[in-house]
Amino acid sequence: MEEQKVDMFILSNSKFFESHMVPQIRERLLAMDDSKWALIQTLQFKDPTTSIIVSLLAGGLGIDRFIIGDTGMGVGKLLTCGGLGIWTIVDWFMIMDATRQKNMLKLSQYL
Amino acid sequence: MTRRRLYPIIAIVCSLAYAWLFLFNHAHDEENSHVQTVCIVKNVTGVPCPSCGSTRSIFMLMQGDFLGAAKANPIGLISALVLIVAPLWLFFDLIKRRETLLEFYLTFEQFIRKKQHAIPAITLVIANWIWNIYKGY
Repeated sequence: MEEQKVDMFILSNSKFFESHMVPQIRERLLAMDDSKWALIQTLQFKDPTTSIIVSLLAGGLGIDRFIIGDTGMGVGKLLTCGGLGIWTIVDWFMIMDATRQKNMLKLSQYL
Repeated sequence: MTRRRLYPIIAIVCSLAYAWLFLFNHAHDEENSHVQTVCIVKNVTGVPCPSCGSTRSIFMLMQGDFLGAAKANPIGLISALVLIVAPLWLFFDLIKRRETLLEFYLTFEQFIRKKQHAIPAITLVIANWIWNIYKGY
């Protein structure tokens, strides 16, 4: 794919991915066929900022985990009062990276 | 979700739960119990969360009072089942070097994500929540 398009994608979407994954994403996008560009461009990613806000407000009920698509962990948090409150606090620090990992998982289905 | 991430989480959550049950039991014996609740939702808002009361439910279950446990909070019954089954399953997988628990977890995730299963589940949890608030936990 053209370098210009790839750089545009990286510029507007790098906040959705872990920083150490960005060079790898760039490499793989460059090596990718041009026909997939339209598809890649329409992908919707979960915003880590949204998930930290949800985690702060409703993390005790596991809503943050449900939102990023981690349903199993969400059920676990819901049934245990947010893991006795400990899991809730741990997730305030983990949820942003968890969101970025989920985004990477979504993107790598198309790469 | 991979085996390397899921299994430590299950191990930590289960051991924390057992530690909490032990602590609660100990504090209960001493009569001057100041261990009340660790639930963030309840401590912040004063309104109980859907799973408040599961500890009491599990203790009633341990005394053989099945009906009382279900009345205290039905989620306690599910938690008790998970707390008994999950560690055994984990050990079985570790010893046999298999991934049956991970496979079950992924299947369950697929199952609960379907709309026809998710909506009844959410309704049940909300109904339980309303009941919890009504009971005044």
